[in-house]
Amino acid sequence: MKILIADDETLSRKLLEKILQRAGYDVIAVENGRLAAEQLCQPEGPRLALLDWMMPELDGPGVCREVRRRRKLSYVHMILLTSKESKEDIVQGLQSGADDYLIKPCDPEELKARLRTGLRILDLEEKLVEAREDMRFKATHDPLTSLFNRGVILDLLGRELARTYREKGCTTLLLGDVDHFKIVNDTYGHAAGDDVLQEIARRLLASVRSYDFVGRYGGEEFLIVLNSCNATFAFARAEEIRRAVANIAVQTTRGPIRVTMSFGLLSSADWGVRPLEELLHETDAALYASKASGRNCSSIARPKTSCAAQQLPLHAPSGRTH
Amino acid sequence: MQNPVQNTAGLVVNFAELLERVENDHELLWDLLAIFKKDFPRHRDSLIEAIARAEMKQVESSSHTLKGMFSNLAMTRAAAAAAHLEQMGRNGERAGLEDALAHFEHELASLLPELDAYLKGARR
Repeated sequence: MKILIADDETLSRKLLEKILQRAGYDVIAVENGRLAAEQLCQPEGPRLALLDWMMPELDGPGVCREVRRRRKLSYVHMILLTSKESKEDIVQGLQSGADDYLIKPCDPEELKARLRTGLRILDLEEKLVEAREDMRFKATHDPLTSLFNRGVILDLLGRELARTYREKGCTTLLLGDVDHFKIVNDTYGHAAGDDVLQEIARRLLASVRSYDFVGRYGGEEFLIVLNSCNATFAFARAEEIRRAVANIAVQTTRGPIRVTMSFGLLSSADWGVRPLEELLHETDAALYASKASGRNCSSIARPKTSCAAQQLPLHAPSGRTH
Repeated sequence: MQNPVQNTAGLVVNFAELLERVENDHELLWDLLAIFKKDFPRHRDSLIEAIARAEMKQVESSSHTLKGMFSNLAMTRAAAAAAHLEQMGRNGERAGLEDALAHFEHELASLLPELDAYLKGARR
């Protein structure tokens, strides 16, 4: 465990450094408060600190205040070292953001015991952060595929559309549905069906760029948001993604299963400012056009702005399986 | 080297306390005393100068540093004398400053020979 010692007095620094090295700490020693704050505010900086109260540049309480203000991601346990023993001084030190204080000169055993307390607090904080991140993930991701869940992908889509409109860019919505998925479930069982959905999720994610979004929209429906995707290339991208699913059979617990997907797509350059629901409805209509024209293909939605929505299947299916 | 046997508050250097503080690491103790020997004159000069100029902030600061050094090395009496000067500096008490310095120097007069004797006896 890394620990920072900040003390302007060489003798005191050396004494603390030796005691803590012997106790197994990885010690960083600095001689003023400014250097201490810089070290502690680094993302991978020490999370335990012993700070002398009176130091040049920035005193111990000043370091505590700065660290509390600047380092937000992980908690730093800070102990003030002081020869001040008045109640007012101690209250002032703790109010600056220090977690504990020790009267100088420190007894080595007491110092190590206080640091063990600090380590317990840091350990507890790590567990809490882990639990919070776990809950955040569960609240935003689909439990089976680990893709964004419906709420999140729609939220991301909404934000992306707003940005696209503001920047006069282009976004493509791609709605995909696994063809004949009910037959997969009925024939091979739900466990194999789950294997298929998980593998499709992996292939969809592998087929898009790091700044695109993929979410599970419904049972076997997936929504892909292709950011900054020019309408000219959107269809070709949709076809690449479709082929990534169709070309290789999915390995499941019940053996390999060939699956295909149908897609509907809509590119923002065509639609102007429209409610999200309308856009999704039109993309869905394009998806159904793909289904109607034999599945395992992609169709472009024609925006409502001209007249009624219409979809043109642009790709004839080939090698369809389920 | 003398070992403390009775009233530790009256000791020039409380070696029992000091050895406990360094976890019986004699090499570390030697290093700390060497640091003290090197750094101490500078802080003492700074204190004397601050007193001569009646710069009370500097009196407080130099005395504080010296007090910290003495305390770490269990030099109880010298630490008390430095703490008194620090207090006077903090309170801006100019009256009695020379007397307090004389007392501080008196403590040093018994401390420094004892320290030299230790360093000579414990030479690595």
